[in-house]
Amino acid sequence: MMLRFASLLFTGLIAAQTATADGELNAKLIADFRSYPNSNAGTIVSGQSLELNIDAYQDFGAARGVLELVARIDDQDSGRRILEARQAYISTEIGGFEVYLGNRQEFWGKAESTNIVDVVNQQDAAADQGGAGKLGAPSVSIERYADYGDLQFWYMPNFRELTFNDADAHPSGELPVKAARYQRSEGRNADDFAFRFSTVVDDWDLAGSLFYGTARTPILSVVDMGTALEPYYAEQRSIGLEAQYTGDATLLKWESLHGKQDGKDFFAAVAGLENTLHGVLDQVWDLGLIAEAQYDGRPQAAAERFYVAGLRLTLNDAKDTSLLLLTSQDEAKDQSLISFDASRRLNSWSSINFGAKFFDAKTTTSVFGFLDDDDTISVKLNMFF
Amino acid sequence: MRLLIATSIAVLSSFILNSTHALADKGLEIAMEVIERDQGWGDSSSKMTMVLKDKYGQSTQRSLRNSSLEGSSQGDKSLVIFDTPGDVRGTAFLSHTKKTGSDDQWLYLPALKRVKRIASSNKAGPFMGSEFSFEDIASQEIEKYTYKYLREEKYNGVDCFVVQYDPVDRKSGYSVQETWVDKSKYIVLKTEYYDRKKSLLKTLTFDGYKKYKGKFWRADTFIMINHQTGKETELQYENWVFGTGLSEKDFNKNMLKRVK
Repeated sequence: MMLRFASLLFTGLIAAQTATADGELNAKLIADFRSYPNSNAGTIVSGQSLELNIDAYQDFGAARGVLELVARIDDQDSGRRILEARQAYISTEIGGFEVYLGNRQEFWGKAESTNIVDVVNQQDAAADQGGAGKLGAPSVSIERYADYGDLQFWYMPNFRELTFNDADAHPSGELPVKAARYQRSEGRNADDFAFRFSTVVDDWDLAGSLFYGTARTPILSVVDMGTALEPYYAEQRSIGLEAQYTGDATLLKWESLHGKQDGKDFFAAVAGLENTLHGVLDQVWDLGLIAEAQYDGRPQAAAERFYVAGLRLTLNDAKDTSLLLLTSQDEAKDQSLISFDASRRLNSWSSINFGAKFFDAKTTTSVFGFLDDDDTISVKLNMFF
Repeated sequence: MRLLIATSIAVLSSFILNSTHALADKGLEIAMEVIERDQGWGDSSSKMTMVLKDKYGQSTQRSLRNSSLEGSSQGDKSLVIFDTPGDVRGTAFLSHTKKTGSDDQWLYLPALKRVKRIASSNKAGPFMGSEFSFEDIASQEIEKYTYKYLREEKYNGVDCFVVQYDPVDRKSGYSVQETWVDKSKYIVLKTEYYDRKKSLLKTLTFDGYKKYKGKFWRADTFIMINHQTGKETELQYENWVFGTGLSEKDFNKNMLKRVK
């Protein structure tokens, strides 16, 4: 693995230096140092990983090839080790339609704290990279951009499973994860379909989507007399709605998803407000105030209702320094999460991130109760080639 | 006697009003001529290097690509793609300028593949940490200001009109701008920006004007000096190309995820 990674790294860095007129190749190397200050006995107290991202595109006449490769090694956690084509597709325009074939990454949604309508990709949850940590969706997708709005159609013939950290790594339920069970008999080979229409009407960005396929987030159960976790992927049929109102300094956001999962009706929604104050403390700083309310009636949710409050400070300096503080609390005031992220450019080829996450729960058998020992402090050094 | 005073006040005030109108009209005429002479450019693209200097003379650079589409009934549309520094590579900023009201703006975040509509109230805020604010880089539409002709003056040996631009939008970071317009070419050579407290905030000078397609003047160097912080930002443009065949479609928000 190490040798393969090193040779990949070398090839990537050499190739990154060459760029042609109708193509480009860039690389990024991320060194990630993590510490788990609250870890239970028998679990790891720290970890380090090295991740190489290769990002390339090449135009061939009317077609374009795009490749985004992620290779990650980790000294402790096999769940974080991955060689993944986050994107590897060919695209071309046929009769006013953009057609894509291969692994693709796509984002749907409007909210900040969670994106329940973002159904195309599976999460690389073990990577703990938030929305950036996705697995490529093997797919055929077609898009059309028209005056009245934009249409997307997705066919996804291969399901990607959520990634899990090792039982002794973080975050984890400290139990080994068994092979997944599927509601649909074709399992991983069942076909998934998604469709979305999005449009802009003055200050409103609106979208509606349909999904039929396998739910991305599994329902986890403790099995084998409490010695293992078993993921169960249910069938999902759903309608997603998105809206964002963009005012002068205020954004109003809405995402909702309703339909059937595992044969049962469900509803989930996020409503949010974001207001930005400019020039705070007589500096050129921007302070964003974020408030979101989440409702999720699915069994995967840690609690039905969560309330999120956050602050985003952007210094608007030459180093692009920014800080984000988010707090999340369930309605019963049982489970809570505080997360902090700060980033700053070091020079033209590197930047640094500092992150911290603290889980808290009164009920030890709740989801956050399981995550109580998964508090994380991380420092990431990003290098660009 | 009372009648006489009243009449003289009326005459005097109408004279003041008329001359104020005359100055406003002449200011507007000059501003319109600047825009008029630059009409018909269609679409353009260029490369830009942004050099940020702090008051100690330390500098950092970023490079970006710029493309614009001329608007007719609506304002211009522009797209900026960042190439360096590495951490912002692939980030793109799309702006649909409106002649009146707030512009529509979207930001593309490549790590998330997310196109985000952003509020445009930050017009006074810095663009990418530079001394240029969002309103400085936005396209200059005639409706965004009221005008007043101030005087004639030589700037760098060139005969200029000096015109006051008064921003209509109260969220503008400026009380007024004073603009030096070349009398013969009708191109802007210098702008002084006054903050809301009416103190001189920044000076922008343009250098290296070249004529493209026999008609359109473009400067290759913009220097913005912030007098209050001692910081400076220089924009160096190159590879100006006009009529590259860009269309509305290239400035659709969904194209952001396809820019490379």
